[in-house]
Amino acid sequence: MTALLEVSGLTRRFGGVIAVDRLDLRVASGETLGVIGPNGAGKSTLVGLLAGALRPDGGRIVLAGRDVTGLRAPARARLGIGRTHQVPRPFRRMTVLENLLLGQVYGARTRGMAAARREGMAILERTGLADVAGEPAGSLPLLRLKRLELARALALRPRLLLLDEIGAGLIESELPELIELIRSLRAEVESVLVIEHVVEVIQACADRVAVLDWGRRLVEGTPAEVLRDPEVAAVYLGTTAVGPRAAGGGGAAHSEPAERSGPRAQPPPRPRPAEPAASRTRPVALALPPAEPLLRVEEVAVRYGAVRALQGVSIEVRRGEIVTLLGANGAGKTTAARAISGMVPLAAGEVRYAGERIDGCRPDRIAGLGIAHCLEGRHIFADLTVRENLELGGRNAPDRAELRRRLASVHELFPMLAERGGHSGALLSGGQQQMLAIGRALMAAPELVIFDEISLGLAPVVVDRLYQALAEVNRRGVAMLVIEQNVERGLALADRAYVLEKGRVALHGPPAAIRTDPRLLALYVGTAGME
Amino acid sequence: MSRAGHGAALEAPPRRSAARTGSAVALLAGALLLALATPVTGEYTQQVGFRMLEYAALGQAWNLLGGYGGLVSLGSAAFIGIGAYTTAELTNHGLPLLPGMIVSGAFAALFAALVSPALFRLRGLYFTIGTLALAEALRLFMVNYNGLGGNIGIFLTSAAPTTAGLYRLALGVAAAATGLVALLLRTRLSLALRAVRDDEDVARQLGLVSFRTKLLAFTLAAFLMGVVGGLQAGKLSQIEPYGSFGLQWTVDVVTVVLIGGLGTIGGPLLGAVFTVALAEWLNAYPSLHLAITGAIVIVVVRFAPRGLWGLLADGWARLRPERAPP
Amino acid sequence: MGLQVPSAHTLVTALVSGLLLGGLLAVTALGLSLVLGVMRLINLVHGELVVAGAYLGFVLLSKLGLDPLAGLLLVAPALALLAWPLQRLLLQPVLGAGPQGPLLVTFGLSVIAQNLFVLVFSADTRSLGRPYATAPLHLAGLEVPAIYAISFAVALLVVGGVHLLVRRTGAGREMRAAAEDPAAAAVLGVDVGRVHGRAYALAAACAGIGGVLVGLAFSFTPTTGTAYLLSGFAVVVLGGLGSVLGTLIGGIGLGVIESLGGAVFGDGYRDLVGLAVFLAFLALRPQGLLGRADR
Repeated sequence: MTALLEVSGLTRRFGGVIAVDRLDLRVASGETLGVIGPNGAGKSTLVGLLAGALRPDGGRIVLAGRDVTGLRAPARARLGIGRTHQVPRPFRRMTVLENLLLGQVYGARTRGMAAARREGMAILERTGLADVAGEPAGSLPLLRLKRLELARALALRPRLLLLDEIGAGLIESELPELIELIRSLRAEVESVLVIEHVVEVIQACADRVAVLDWGRRLVEGTPAEVLRDPEVAAVYLGTTAVGPRAAGGGGAAHSEPAERSGPRAQPPPRPRPAEPAASRTRPVALALPPAEPLLRVEEVAVRYGAVRALQGVSIEVRRGEIVTLLGANGAGKTTAARAISGMVPLAAGEVRYAGERIDGCRPDRIAGLGIAHCLEGRHIFADLTVRENLELGGRNAPDRAELRRRLASVHELFPMLAERGGHSGALLSGGQQQMLAIGRALMAAPELVIFDEISLGLAPVVVDRLYQALAEVNRRGVAMLVIEQNVERGLALADRAYVLEKGRVALHGPPAAIRTDPRLLALYVGTAGME
Repeated sequence: MSRAGHGAALEAPPRRSAARTGSAVALLAGALLLALATPVTGEYTQQVGFRMLEYAALGQAWNLLGGYGGLVSLGSAAFIGIGAYTTAELTNHGLPLLPGMIVSGAFAALFAALVSPALFRLRGLYFTIGTLALAEALRLFMVNYNGLGGNIGIFLTSAAPTTAGLYRLALGVAAAATGLVALLLRTRLSLALRAVRDDEDVARQLGLVSFRTKLLAFTLAAFLMGVVGGLQAGKLSQIEPYGSFGLQWTVDVVTVVLIGGLGTIGGPLLGAVFTVALAEWLNAYPSLHLAITGAIVIVVVRFAPRGLWGLLADGWARLRPERAPP
Repeated sequence: MGLQVPSAHTLVTALVSGLLLGGLLAVTALGLSLVLGVMRLINLVHGELVVAGAYLGFVLLSKLGLDPLAGLLLVAPALALLAWPLQRLLLQPVLGAGPQGPLLVTFGLSVIAQNLFVLVFSADTRSLGRPYATAPLHLAGLEVPAIYAISFAVALLVVGGVHLLVRRTGAGREMRAAAEDPAAAAVLGVDVGRVHGRAYALAAACAGIGGVLVGLAFSFTPTTGTAYLLSGFAVVVLGGLGSVLGTLIGGIGLGVIESLGGAVFGDGYRDLVGLAVFLAFLALRPQGLLGRADR
């Protein structure tokens, strides 16, 4: 089989981070290649590089024997590379048909508006959008927007179609339709590259699957092979050697905890009810009746436009507790965090902190109540020094003496921050930035801290250090909601855990129960691993 | 929500364009009538009408890039000035007014084309400030460059056209501008412009070379503005940098379109009528009138972003309940 | 356009006066830089804020006999008090409607302001003529208007003060954080809306101070604002966005360029040379403005 697409040595950096690292990939003519991998593995960057939205820092892209690396986006579209966007980007104020016409007229070079209209309507028929051809694209719900992304890409008459997480945000019942649609593409598109988290789509549509991790290709094979591969499971779950999961259907009642690599923190001691530590000045929680949890998330729903990010989610965190939130990418963990700290509005449900409703409040108000949020992606202020980042975190300190006390406390936890006080925040390494982000959150002397994916992109030994610090902080009486993609890490630290799937709570309970629950792996890599 | 079914959607475009053709014919007929009526209407009416028509044409031109394309230009004065000066020179050398105006338009378009590669590297707000700087630089240059009269400018020596003649010319220019823009909106340029406005990066990944789209819209707009500049020169006996390249033109054009309705074909017409009428009503208090206009702009941006035309369209839709979906 | 080859003495004088003038340009540009940096907004009414300062200085001088330099202490807070509600009531609400909303509101404000000036003060050219302003200063054999040196001193104070405010105080920290990453700042407890209001007020105060200096050094009319909007932009481009000290550098740079341009091409060409250099910078180094590579 000849290769339609051949990628060699492809590299792309963002600042100090290598998103795609000398990647080699091959898509044969007539095949559908699936690409999977954990968050940060470089998948979306790959699509951007292939479509011409991003310029590579190195490597070559060859389409049907022609080197297209130097070509800009419009030229690549005309050569037949079409793509969809992970988050749909329709031309909102143009009609659905007009969204297609652009690609037909300029990309596929269809002659004459009438012919373009006819062809466009035909594509809309196939993708089930014919009835809304004249509606403004911005008014469509999510599934239809995803179909529109697909229809728009098809309007280019592409040879290579890049589908970027087209299954994301869909619920169970919507998947078969989508799978049918993708399968039917074989007739008109030469090759398809499917980037996915939703495993059912990969299993049903892909001929071969490549697994990316840290910007490189890790493993390649048929869907069944890849999804059963222990290395792949390890990459997702954070374990190295996985127990006998491959054997016996859903009947496996238990599996031994896997061997861990590297030094491990001691399991945290049972948390005590919070004593007002000398450094804390807002004893809100003391007024709390013992039964009332510190944080109560009740039947919360969140939507991003048409996307149902969270549905009927209920979570509790008690004083001094560590609660872990687990789940595959796109399951809604970060959305839950943002809903709590006020960064996104709720479509339904309530969030209560110390008994008071906080949903609908501005983030800065919620921060003032005692909740700190250590954001995913760290968000260190590059324009501020390390010390200034910390001082900003401690802006609610009543006087300089208190500020200094808190600073000392954070420095005790992370001595490196004291050494680097005068450096710009941007000059730190990833692990150091994460320490700064954690320290900054702690500077507010909070009662509850939300940690969102602190292990992302960091080496295990660094993550160990961070989790040690978390345990220490918890010993001081701070409650935590820890969002972790890495199951082992998350469970090792937790008093209780919740597992999210597609915006709902799928499992919850103490770590031991979750760890041995046979459904756990399925939630991450699908049921193929259970065959 | 349109009716389900393949057939209905296919019919929709022809229905829409039938309505458009109808209104275009109506507009043309109206323009013809107004032109023929000049012996009856007085000189004052014609003068006021002249200004309204000038602004209508300018507004249509600005709307191309600003309304449909989403790129706010504050450099209109540059093209109007180029048009004025070019026409003045040409008519002084014997060329009749109308051909002079057209050549001036071409000249202005050429200038636009020359500055486009550099200008369109700037995105969003920086593009806006770049156009402002360009227009002001040109004005300052004209003030100082004695080869074209410097501060004093040029005196027009050819026979001055009559008020009625100017009025008819303005009518023609406004009709042509409106017609041209309406026609363009039915071509693929309309698709391209709106795609660039909604999401330029995505448009490029669908094969659109966005620079060409912006270039086309910019030069066309410049052409029309140059023609209007020439028309203005026809009216005056002397043109100089302050009047021809002055920022007031740019402010007026943007105001007309904002109040009338950004990105609509009727907006510039409505806006021109409204602002000139307001100016006439308050003509004893020129600064007060302008201040009020500024306040109206703010109110429109805040509460009625689609301008007067949008308000009318909404009102019309509400008055026709049988159009509501089943 | 008479190109004259200037003498060495003329050149050096131009250089020095340009340098000193640069201080004034920096002060008039500082407010624009602040708003652009913190709020990502092109404040089209900035020029009118400068002129408002000049008119206020004029009123204080003619009605109260207050020397404009002393009047600075009143002009700055007055403009801050004027600008704060403008931002909270007119700009803040339209923030969501895309980048055009606030830009167009400042456009409307600019139109209103210019015409209010005409209504209240007439279109006459005015100046805050003070004897010390026009008196020449003798510096090492060169002769420059004293007001240039005075404004340079004021500029150093103002730029220095704002720099310290932004770099060393808690409020400044919040401003820098809110400018870089408003969502992250909010989650740390920063009220981003109020930070924007304060930044706008501070910007107006600086503009007002610049206006008084303009009134002392030159003359002004209701429409002078546009020139200072553009020169403010040129300063920001030359000196780099986001840096207070950079604004001083940019101002000095522009002052020198304009001065030399005037010496070589004739005094009428000063502004044009400045604009031409600005346009060249924009055309050749657009990424220098935004600090980001194209892709």
